[in-house]
Amino acid sequence: MKRSPIVAVGTVVGLASVLSFHTSPVKITLNPSPGTTTAPPSTTTTRPAKKHAPATTTTVRPGATTTTVAGQPRTTTTTAPSTTTTARATTTTTVAPTTTTVAPTTTTTAAPATGVRTVTGPLVNYYYGELSVKVTADGSKITSVTIGTLTDGGNPRSQQIDQYAIPLLEPEALAAQSYKIQSVSGASYTSAGFELSMQYALKKLGL
Amino acid sequence: MTRAVTSTRHHIEVMGTVVTVDLFDSRDEDAAAEAITRVQELLRDVDRTFSTYKEASPLSRLRRGEVSLGECPPEVAEVLDLCQRAKELTAGWFDPWALPGGVDPTGYVKGWAAQRALDELRGLDVSGAIVNAAGDVASFGGPTDAEPFHSGIVHPDDAQRLVAVVELRACLATSGEAQRGAHLYNPFTGDFASAVASASVTGEDLGVCDALATALSVGGHDVMVLIDRLDGYAAMTLDAAGVMRATADFPLVRD
Repeated sequence: MKRSPIVAVGTVVGLASVLSFHTSPVKITLNPSPGTTTAPPSTTTTRPAKKHAPATTTTVRPGATTTTVAGQPRTTTTTAPSTTTTARATTTTTVAPTTTTVAPTTTTTAAPATGVRTVTGPLVNYYYGELSVKVTADGSKITSVTIGTLTDGGNPRSQQIDQYAIPLLEPEALAAQSYKIQSVSGASYTSAGFELSMQYALKKLGL
Repeated sequence: MTRAVTSTRHHIEVMGTVVTVDLFDSRDEDAAAEAITRVQELLRDVDRTFSTYKEASPLSRLRRGEVSLGECPPEVAEVLDLCQRAKELTAGWFDPWALPGGVDPTGYVKGWAAQRALDELRGLDVSGAIVNAAGDVASFGGPTDAEPFHSGIVHPDDAQRLVAVVELRACLATSGEAQRGAHLYNPFTGDFASAVASASVTGEDLGVCDALATALSVGGHDVMVLIDRLDGYAAMTLDAAGVMRATADFPLVRD
């Protein structure tokens, strides 16, 4: 079978969902009928966003998240439920017990701030070791999310593992696809927490 | 001349879940109705034989040692044989014999049953059909004679979001730490734990896809390598850190 080399190390699912790091799984309440909705995931991209790429508006639950980084507990204080950013917003995500609502598109003409910047978040625990996330934003729009560092703590498998890593789809590409989906696959009721350093990076970026 | 795509959906409550059967561009309604009835009977028969929740099912009696394999309906031996092959295919990561309480082929039966249900529909005058057994999908054809089906894969944490769209060439099974909580058993450690948040496998046979997805969910990278080497099957995983991985031939739809 053919096999492609590493394409790019990952991105982040649910850009907004990763804003809190849970040391234990979060119990999720879910829609009992998968297959009826096909809202776009707030996925991130390693490609430049397209012209009409949605930005992500994030609401962080108060009192969330203790983050363990490299074995040491770190408390991350999160903001009260408030909107942290807007800009041509199409997606609104509420973090933790993970209910996601996708708002209809609104066209906002608010001018994005301060050009292109890149920030790397702190290392966080990851299944095979530690990783950090590098986020680039243009104005208030995130244009790329990549893995900045990936260490395996001596685990020899991580190099092999990453030959399979691929960038996720841009959310608008998925949204465009959804109208022609005839079926949905997925066990879908998992309670795995997202363990990334996105929160720091986004905060640094003012997003 | 283009026609609008027509489809009909049938819901069958069976095996503790709902199986949907979709027929696309069906041109003989009587034959379709008869086939749906056969599918219902087939699935209910599978449930009666293989349910581990029904005390009197042949499988339950086999697990308690009350009957021998030879005294069970022949489907039981057939499925256990397929399970043994799946166990070998996955280097032991899929292992219905490792669970406490006796052999439990449930992880294979749902996909196998949906595949057999689909086979009942093959003779129909349709452009395509989909059998979706609680997220495990078997199909042939497409929404029209000229197009393939597309299937979404739902986000493991949020059924309202998709993580990917794939071209549905035949079957697609997704496994994760699913509906029933941490039900995935690691035959090597004895733990109930998953290596990845979500594991999807496509291929020709849904029973095999189902077993491979279960193994991939528990075994992670080791099983990804096995599937990569397996002709006709492709895999994708999403781990807890949000990193997506896929074999090169996984039929992701990108734009």
